[in-house]
Amino acid sequence: MSNLLPLLIAALLFPGGLFALAFGLALKGADRRVAARLQGRVGPPLAQPLFDLIKLGFKRMMAPDAACETVFFAAPLTGAAAMLLAILLVPISGVYAPATLTGDLIVLIYLLAIPGVALMLAGSSSSSPYGAIGFSREMSMMIAYEGPIVLIAIAVGLRVGMASGSSPTFSLVDIVAYQKSHGALLFDPVMWPAVVAFAFFYPANLGIVPFDIPEAETEVLEGPLLEYSGPALALFKVMSAIKAVVVLGLGVALFMPLPFTGLIALVGWIVQMLALMLIGVTALRVGTGRMRIDQAFVFFLKWPLALAALSVVAAAYLTVGVAP
Amino acid sequence: MNFLTLFVRNLRHGPYTDPFPFAPPAPAPKRLRGRIAFDAAICEGCLLCEKVCPSGAIRFSRTRDGLAFDCWHDTCVFCGSCEFYCPTRAVYTTNEWRLAHVEAEKFTVAEHGLIPNIVCLDCGGKGLDTAPNVSKVRPPLSADELAQLRGRCPKCRNKFLRARGKPS
Amino acid sequence: MTVLDRLKDLAARSPWIYRINSGSCNGCDVECATTALIPRYDVERLGCQYCGSPRHADIVLITGPLTIHVLGPAQRVFAEIPDPKVTVAIGVCPISGGIFRESYSICAPIDKYFPVDVNVPGCPPRPQAILEGVAKAIAIWRERL
Repeated sequence: MSNLLPLLIAALLFPGGLFALAFGLALKGADRRVAARLQGRVGPPLAQPLFDLIKLGFKRMMAPDAACETVFFAAPLTGAAAMLLAILLVPISGVYAPATLTGDLIVLIYLLAIPGVALMLAGSSSSSPYGAIGFSREMSMMIAYEGPIVLIAIAVGLRVGMASGSSPTFSLVDIVAYQKSHGALLFDPVMWPAVVAFAFFYPANLGIVPFDIPEAETEVLEGPLLEYSGPALALFKVMSAIKAVVVLGLGVALFMPLPFTGLIALVGWIVQMLALMLIGVTALRVGTGRMRIDQAFVFFLKWPLALAALSVVAAAYLTVGVAP
Repeated sequence: MNFLTLFVRNLRHGPYTDPFPFAPPAPAPKRLRGRIAFDAAICEGCLLCEKVCPSGAIRFSRTRDGLAFDCWHDTCVFCGSCEFYCPTRAVYTTNEWRLAHVEAEKFTVAEHGLIPNIVCLDCGGKGLDTAPNVSKVRPPLSADELAQLRGRCPKCRNKFLRARGKPS
Repeated sequence: MTVLDRLKDLAARSPWIYRINSGSCNGCDVECATTALIPRYDVERLGCQYCGSPRHADIVLITGPLTIHVLGPAQRVFAEIPDPKVTVAIGVCPISGGIFRESYSICAPIDKYFPVDVNVPGCPPRPQAILEGVAKAIAIWRERL
């Protein structure tokens, strides 16, 4: 019972629930505003994603006649719930460390796959041909980018585990603690290919141009989300806002946690997340055009996969050949 | 151009956005073809604008009070043909483009004009107060003669000009 | 002001736009696109964004004089847009048929088939005129929320 209250607070207030939702919406608002300024326009106010969410609450929720309603309405619920759970596993160095029972990199990667599956279920259960195209494109993209993230996780786990013990570790708390004492993995030459691979992975995961192929608006009329309206669509927006926090938080925890504690650590974490968002997402999406699905698929199976594999091999070779 | 230099340029310059609708808009170009305006005092009543209007927006109709001019802006295509063909520029385009309106006002977005009936000074018959087409008359008419011409019906206008001297 | 009114005020700051092209020459559609893309006439300041699916829309822009072929599909797409919604007729073609007025193949004026709320005349209307029409539509939409 004694560890239920902190878990509830973590799940509902900080860093999960309200904080994750608010921060995710703020990140998306900042992304839209900065993208507009980069294009020479004024752009929406920073709270625009919040207004979008409130407005969607007032709209009528409809489902197509031929759609499978159970799956149709379960998909956004599953996605949002998975992301609310995943945010509990992301450590904020110096501020929040997930309980050892729940802090596991493999579980986090598994939970990160659920929003993609929720989008696929949404597309296929909507009985619309555009939804079916979105479903198959989302499946291709997931196959493409899940490989690199698993190899990145193995590379980091190998590096940290072999250096401090004798077996790979997949506990995020240990990874963050290792970086506090040995310096961030961002500055470790062995991990640089993995860092580059992660920089390709997270725009694809968040559905950002040039990899936003499943939700391409002008091509497949928003793909899987085509038939959603009202609160169901709002749940998808909640899911994608919290996913942004989870993925960017994962990146910060894996490669560049700050060695401070307390308020400075929290402010530094927020600044790092903003920087990752604005450089890797906003500047990328404003400066490039969308790729085709076959181009994106082949690209991910070539370069990020090869770079991540290179990091795995380098981490294994270096830690085996060198005394700890 | 490299998109990074574009980003730096846009961030340094700030947004290029016109602040409308939160502030008055930038002035419209002078020759922008906007709302049609009609000046009944200089209209000749030749009805050329009604003939050349491609969408049938300009309609003349004979009413009890005279010749009525109606131009419905919700079907005008702002081509400028009426202005081009009008011999006296009685119908002309202004550069007013702020014509958005709610559905209830749909049939009030129109330009109306009237060329009133007159009673002829000579024969007492019915005529219209149209501007006479006398730009090529030599010697040119004085203002008094113009007023005399204007107050007559078409037949009496012909008689007046013939009586004046050289045919027009 | 009750909490619900305050929430409705916030919700009214995010109207999403969907375009139905019912047989238009694309002139008005190009001007609608410029309101989104050209920095000078940014429509995102009003909170609008052009959405790809009719189910996501609040404000419907209809261009084109509603040809006979497109009458059925346009009515079906219009029915897919969830309430509350506001309809804006862009250009003179949907309001009265415009230059195609007495053609055998068009069904304009569209207010026989769709409940139009705002008209924006012009051929094509200036992007600023479209912005003005959208601003009027947002005011009407706020009443209906």
